[in-house]
Amino acid sequence: MNKKLLLALIALFACAASINAQGRRGLRINEVMIANDSSIVDDYGQRSAWVELFNSTFAPLEISSVFITDDPANPTKYPVPIGDVNTKIPKRQHVVFWADGNPTKGTFHMNFILVPGKDNWIGIYDADGKTLIDEVTVPASLKANQSYARTSENQLQPGADAWEIRDRWTENPVTPSSSNKIKDTNDKVDMFAARDENGFGMTVMAMGIVFSALLLLSVCFYIISKIGERASKINKAKAHNITLAATDKESHPSHDSGEEIAAIVLALHEHLNTHDTENTVLTINKVKRAYSPWSSKIYNMREMPRR
Amino acid sequence: MPSFGDFLMQNLQQFWHLTGFYNATWQHFVMLAVGLFFIWLAIKKDFEPMLLVPIGFGILIGNIPFNTEAGLEIGIYEEGSVLNILYNGVSAGWYPPLIFLGIGAMTDFSALIANPKLMLIGAAAQFGIFGAYMVALLLGFAPDQAGAIAIIGGADGPTAIFLSSKLAPNLMGAIAVSAYSYMALVPVIQPPLMRLFTTKKERLIKMKPARAVSQNEKIIFPIIGMLLTCFVVPSGIPLLGMLFFGNLLRECGVTTRLAKTASNALTDIVTILLGMTVGASTQASEFLTAETIFIFALGFMAFIIASSSGVLFVKIFNLFLPKSKKINPLIGNAGVSAVPMSARISNNLGLEYDPSNYLLMHAMGPNVSGVIGSAVAAGVLLGFLA
Repeated sequence: MNKKLLLALIALFACAASINAQGRRGLRINEVMIANDSSIVDDYGQRSAWVELFNSTFAPLEISSVFITDDPANPTKYPVPIGDVNTKIPKRQHVVFWADGNPTKGTFHMNFILVPGKDNWIGIYDADGKTLIDEVTVPASLKANQSYARTSENQLQPGADAWEIRDRWTENPVTPSSSNKIKDTNDKVDMFAARDENGFGMTVMAMGIVFSALLLLSVCFYIISKIGERASKINKAKAHNITLAATDKESHPSHDSGEEIAAIVLALHEHLNTHDTENTVLTINKVKRAYSPWSSKIYNMREMPRR
Repeated sequence: MPSFGDFLMQNLQQFWHLTGFYNATWQHFVMLAVGLFFIWLAIKKDFEPMLLVPIGFGILIGNIPFNTEAGLEIGIYEEGSVLNILYNGVSAGWYPPLIFLGIGAMTDFSALIANPKLMLIGAAAQFGIFGAYMVALLLGFAPDQAGAIAIIGGADGPTAIFLSSKLAPNLMGAIAVSAYSYMALVPVIQPPLMRLFTTKKERLIKMKPARAVSQNEKIIFPIIGMLLTCFVVPSGIPLLGMLFFGNLLRECGVTTRLAKTASNALTDIVTILLGMTVGASTQASEFLTAETIFIFALGFMAFIIASSSGVLFVKIFNLFLPKSKKINPLIGNAGVSAVPMSARISNNLGLEYDPSNYLLMHAMGPNVSGVIGSAVAAGVLLGFLA
């Protein structure tokens, strides 16, 4: 019993660990600014380089004990402190970390700075300090007040891993602590409205999927039923100490309908003329029965099987 | 300082402004009449009383006129009110999966396991959903709204509520009421269509009794079913996962108590809350619009397409089957789910033409596969449009 409990606990912890690991993989470096002359200020009124992280999952993500670094040789350079409630990022939300080399200012101030005019590599590592979650190399060509950002936050869209340079006065502005794309509509709905005006595409795709799913299930259970039938025949043969061929013959008699058997018996009875003195006439009549287990709701819906 | 008489008059006047009589509009009375009609249908005509009584009474509750600016926190859309808290199960979409848990714990999938090809009838009946989707687009609905309306064709109330709460929350009241209304009207809508699309010879087809299904197969079914369908359509997990989970509770034989709770007490509780809050959400200002009329029309059309496509699919399917394995097309209508009402329609119509032709068990196959099919279709729509 104790062994079983121990195994169950180990399985539970393994699941919990994998869930956590799976969630952390959803953390993304989303936007970076190296030279900040006129962009946002921190809570001390200072301007410095910043790194925006994005929780790309649809569940809150706790990022304490994750490492952020600018040095591949030192993956544990800045550990995100434990115990700050703000390190739990809500679903699909962003946080900004300041690369000002002054961690005493708070959780979101890192112990390194980013240097303009050269390539800056930034990486985030999981709590083990070995598993790289995400990385980016910000090009040296990035000018002051420009940011280097992902073109799309939707991982399902093509080119989701592409990056672009953003500038405050362009169509693609710098967007610290918010989505790189200002959304006022649903992209998917817009796409269907534009590309599938009459709904034919949706119908073909969706019905294809519905049929495929149920066909898959149907084929699967056809195979399972065949295996089950075969297994029961083998068991039956073993129990009666007969060959499998004999059980096949037994299970497929030449006349298995009750009506056919009754007709044969009646014909034999007449043919052999074994009719004696009784005056009853044997016949086959179909009768209508209002009630049958076949039409009973209780047998179909409510009866609980018992072991 | 006003006199005591003035004080009394002032307060009574203030109270009068809070009463339903003062705040009533003709729209409120229309909705109250709709609620009373639902209750009458349920009690007098026995149309889905378990659903229409809570929904009908919910409509009465939701349409009592009151001063919304008084800050009484009693309206279903006012955050923190009792009704709003109960409504969370609808708006956040967690009542429908609980209902599916109960449906899974109630349903015997033997008929489907014994004759797996019947699953395809359940898939064919989903044409109703997408036929209505196309017409809804023609009428000018946005794709997400069209998807939410079209799911009425799945003839599955919880699925309709689940999907509309995600895709078009503003239309959910009308969609839910429409879905349940047509489910209640299955005995009226389906038989004429079944007669129209079948010949007398086809109606007399006798299907071989289904083979006995082993307990092992019944246990494997929900596990494989959940894995396969959810791998294909992960967005269907809330509905399909709970449906198959409920069925495993029932079939495994060692969780009888849980299965009984899921299929009886839990389902009853959630049905009461779901029905009442859906009814209460149909407030006159949201419900009495041109869109509602379109939704009812589209829902009716979706039902007709779904029922017809199930029957016609069986006829086409029969072309490829040997004579001894022909399927009676009267079970095609059952593909629209509406468990077990539509299967009983198949049975009754079969008996009408041949008193010894019991089709109920055969119809239960497409009937429960219709539940799976509509949940898959809802998952597909959610995946594409949410």
